[in-house]
Amino acid sequence: MTKFLVFLEQREGVLKKSSIAAWNRVQEFAALSAGAIVTGLLVGPLDRQPIGDLLAGDGVVYHANAELLRPYQQESYTRIVASMITQESISALFFADSSLSRDLAPRLSVLLKASLLSGDLLFNRQGYPDGSFRPVYSGLATASFSPQRNISIYTLSPSRGMVTRSSADGTVQVMPTAQHHHSSDNLLAELRRIVLRQNSLDIAEAGIIVAGGRGMGSSAGFALLEELAALLGGAVGASRFAVDEGWRAHAEQIGQTGKTVAPQLYFACGVSGAPQHLAGIASAGIVVAINSDPDASIFQVADYGIVGDVHLVLPKLIEALKEFLKKK
Amino acid sequence: MNIAVCLCQVPDSASVIGFADGALDRSRINEVINPYDEYALEEAVSLKERIAGSLVTVFTVAPLSAKDMLRKALALGADRAVLVSATEPSDPYLRALQLKSALMEFYEGIIPDLVFCGKSSTDFQSAQVPSMLGALLGIASVSGVTSLNLSGEHLHLEREIEGGVEQIELHYPVVISAEKGLNQPRKTTVKAVMEARKKPIDLLTVSVDVAPLVLMSDLKALERKKVCRFAEDEKDLVLLLSNEFPLFSGD
Repeated sequence: MTKFLVFLEQREGVLKKSSIAAWNRVQEFAALSAGAIVTGLLVGPLDRQPIGDLLAGDGVVYHANAELLRPYQQESYTRIVASMITQESISALFFADSSLSRDLAPRLSVLLKASLLSGDLLFNRQGYPDGSFRPVYSGLATASFSPQRNISIYTLSPSRGMVTRSSADGTVQVMPTAQHHHSSDNLLAELRRIVLRQNSLDIAEAGIIVAGGRGMGSSAGFALLEELAALLGGAVGASRFAVDEGWRAHAEQIGQTGKTVAPQLYFACGVSGAPQHLAGIASAGIVVAINSDPDASIFQVADYGIVGDVHLVLPKLIEALKEFLKKK
Repeated sequence: MNIAVCLCQVPDSASVIGFADGALDRSRINEVINPYDEYALEEAVSLKERIAGSLVTVFTVAPLSAKDMLRKALALGADRAVLVSATEPSDPYLRALQLKSALMEFYEGIIPDLVFCGKSSTDFQSAQVPSMLGALLGIASVSGVTSLNLSGEHLHLEREIEGGVEQIELHYPVVISAEKGLNQPRKTTVKAVMEARKKPIDLLTVSVDVAPLVLMSDLKALERKKVCRFAEDEKDLVLLLSNEFPLFSGD
């Protein structure tokens, strides 16, 4: 019997959307591969919603709900996940790709001698995940990765197919699990605090991203992108150049030395389309490029384009969009 | 205080990077210090300058040709360099095991107070080695650090998380992986390059006889071409998008 475990991440007592999407995704392919069982593990207390309503399919979610586990803590989280994997004879563990899983998964990999894989999943004939596929060399190439051990750990990148459900179609049972804080965990005594930015939608979770590059000319130039993003309910992103120039914060950088994003709609404004940038938007849905250079490589990966100066095109685009939204 | 910095070489993204027969075509590439490792080295050196009696040693598992990179690291302020010979590792786990062996051998079994790495290498981009190294050494690790302050035996670190910042306070020893934004790496000076020639480069051989956790295959150049449809004007673009994109026409 193949058993999958999905790590459900809470931040400040709220279950993360990317974790819900990962659970639902695993349920989807578990249903196709005969007889796989999906189990969840939620670490830390939840302040709000009963999670059964958010999670699709059937399964048990074990909840280590001690208050001490509210902030991420490397050692206790590692121990709780590892013991669940051993106890339940799990063959594959799934994380949503996040700053937490990037910190935790490699340590679990060492502890469990488990194969750690990231990127798009590859499946075998039985429909079980059996490796991954992802960009390497700054997005200039791709490679496949195959697990060599009995236990695999996958970190799932955001993808367009990963949607959250409004109503569940199965029964998810939540069971408290007796995983408490060990006094020995204080060996690596660490204190963690989270400071969230106000009113900002993170580009890693945004459905629409309006990104700007060198062509925006200055930090003031991004005001147009802010306006467009607000109109569309999206987030503002930036190329490496714009971040290096100090026009935008590094948290907004997309590409090799920034974030990998998977919005449904991506606007690249004054972005030339260096391979390092394209590596970050490989999973984006519709790409719209606005650039004054008709030969810019961004047009080779764009679905729609306008050749022109962003400073002239964007105000008109914003007007056209306002008109369009008014008519509806 | 002993500070170790793990460096690796990657193809310079400005050089011609091609692929042939499932491997990188090395004939036309120029190898440089992995960009994230520059932040790691800078942070180590600036800590050394603030803490009397500390020593920065850089490590790389690489062929002998990596000596040039090590000379550059010495010119950037490292005190010693160790070139580690080992078989080319096939996954991050083996790389982390090799680094652990090298550190344990060089420091004679005493774990250095701080181990710095870059957040990820720009070639294989797995971002796994630093945390794996921490686990293998049995010490904490913090990935993607953007701010570091040391007071006494306490480290105050910050790392970027989705929509905010996580602040972490902990004791060393710890493995820290450096994210862009941690600092502004300095440039070498002629004087520093001259002095670097006098600094030692140690040679070390390690052998790790463990099967890899993951195998990489099917390396090939990425072709991504779409046919771009050029809109006549901005109104046309809005119309085109509204046909395709539900958020425009729906709610």
